[in-house]
Amino acid sequence: MSAPSLETKVGGLTLQNPVIAASGTFGYGLEYRPYLDLNRLGGLVTKGISLEPRQGNPPPRIWETASGMLNAIGLANVGLERFIAEKLPALAELDCAVIVNLYGEAVDEFAALARALDGRRGVAALELNVSCPNVKSGGMAFGVDPQAVAAVTRAVKAETGLPVWVKLTPNVTSPVAVAQAAVQAGADAISLINTLLGMAIDARGRRPRLANVVGGLSGPAIKPVGLRMVWQVAQALPGVPVVGMGGIASGEDAAEYLIAGASAVQVGTGNFQDPASCRRIAEELAQFCVENQVARVSDLIGSLRPPA
Amino acid sequence: MTAWARIAENLRLGQDVFRLRLEAPEIAAQARPGQFVMLKVRHGGDPLLARPFSIHGAENGELFILYRVVGRGTKILSMARPGKNLALWGPLGRGFDLGVANPVLVAGGMGMAPLPFTAEELVREGKRPAFLLGMLTTGGYVALVDALDKRLKNVGVAISWASEDGGLGRKGLVTALLAEALQNGAAHILACGPLPMLKAVAALAAEHGAPCQVSLEAPMACGIGVCLGCALPAAGEGYLRACQEGPVLDSARLDWARL
Repeated sequence: MSAPSLETKVGGLTLQNPVIAASGTFGYGLEYRPYLDLNRLGGLVTKGISLEPRQGNPPPRIWETASGMLNAIGLANVGLERFIAEKLPALAELDCAVIVNLYGEAVDEFAALARALDGRRGVAALELNVSCPNVKSGGMAFGVDPQAVAAVTRAVKAETGLPVWVKLTPNVTSPVAVAQAAVQAGADAISLINTLLGMAIDARGRRPRLANVVGGLSGPAIKPVGLRMVWQVAQALPGVPVVGMGGIASGEDAAEYLIAGASAVQVGTGNFQDPASCRRIAEELAQFCVENQVARVSDLIGSLRPPA
Repeated sequence: MTAWARIAENLRLGQDVFRLRLEAPEIAAQARPGQFVMLKVRHGGDPLLARPFSIHGAENGELFILYRVVGRGTKILSMARPGKNLALWGPLGRGFDLGVANPVLVAGGMGMAPLPFTAEELVREGKRPAFLLGMLTTGGYVALVDALDKRLKNVGVAISWASEDGGLGRKGLVTALLAEALQNGAAHILACGPLPMLKAVAALAAEHGAPCQVSLEAPMACGIGVCLGCALPAAGEGYLRACQEGPVLDSARLDWARL
């Protein structure tokens, strides 16, 4: 059998393979240059960019858990101005799709970020982090409120012709209502899942392990939740491109997400386990296709069969 | 760079202290004193993350790591047999600046790990470093003490020991030795050890107006500057990443009150 085609289309983009590096685990991309060829990635999503620089939370910020990790970094980033001046020029030279993740605490902050990035060379799409607190609704996360997600998505779409992906939080009863609201407001794709809210305790010291007390759980521990939510959204909203993530550490993990209904996947915590993870996972996915007589990786998308 | 390195030796040097020797020629060739590597204690997803280990030595294509069993990861590592391969990446971070006059090396407990390599390189550059090493107790660490004494003696450096139980050298804290060394002409401090020791060292340095480089540790997931887990409070405001701006930092760049 000839080499399988790894190309996939998602949310307004055509990617050379479905493996994208996830926001918050890949810096501004260039940090990984010594470890893999960035041009061969399906894409990369930058650290969440806010209007102003953010220093982040006090340490300790991370804690390893069973098959996972908790983080409460606090969205530390260089801010929009320095991102455009210092990071974007080098990103614009890459052959892979660069998706810029946006973080705001009010609708107009998201809109201002989108306006500033619209038409910039090197930006292939925007991904909205709606897991952040909505200052106008007393700090409740945008992502748990379909109307708030719709408002953010609509405001961003009004400012840019770039594809807009909305990254959903799993900390809801069902992601379908929120996904639907985002799509109706113009989202080109749905990314899910962000981290699950969790905590860890030092029983001997009777203190939380994180200075922030609670943090986001990621890694292989959350893969079943991610698969379930991707499947739910794909079932409920056929035709809506989904970017699946949560605990992907191998090519077979990626295949599971595609089968559940994702058109592409993101690798997050896997980049910490092994800085060359994205390359390895894409290679393993190609091998999976060969071994299972799959000619095109896109043939896997939404191909889940009923229970035996 | 990433390597898949064969374990040449994993030698017990005390009740809970081991010295790992890895065949990692490319990393060993680039390693500088004070830098570190991220090492997966075994292949696969459990434990999930690699651990940062400072470089204890690098010669003839081999990398040395001195470690104490403190948790599940190091317990697993202590059981790894020669012949097995481990994944690692590095060398990482900023090491010690060796362009200093009259250096005094100050080690506390396992903070000793990067300092023999540092002393050897200082000697190679024509310096005569003083080497102060404090431990809680040296009982149970005969092989470790011997190995360190011998290694430093090879480059003409005699270790001044301190132990809190009085088992070896001066009874008490290594900072007492440092205070004397500063009065006797030591000018530039290079220190690694537990936080309370480093705080005391930084305070002594400030008191004597001595420049002071400290090597710090922090929990980290990636080691390459992206996870932002290893934030250390910076003097003024904000944070420094132990893995990028550190792990060796000028003590004046840190906010010791927030550490």
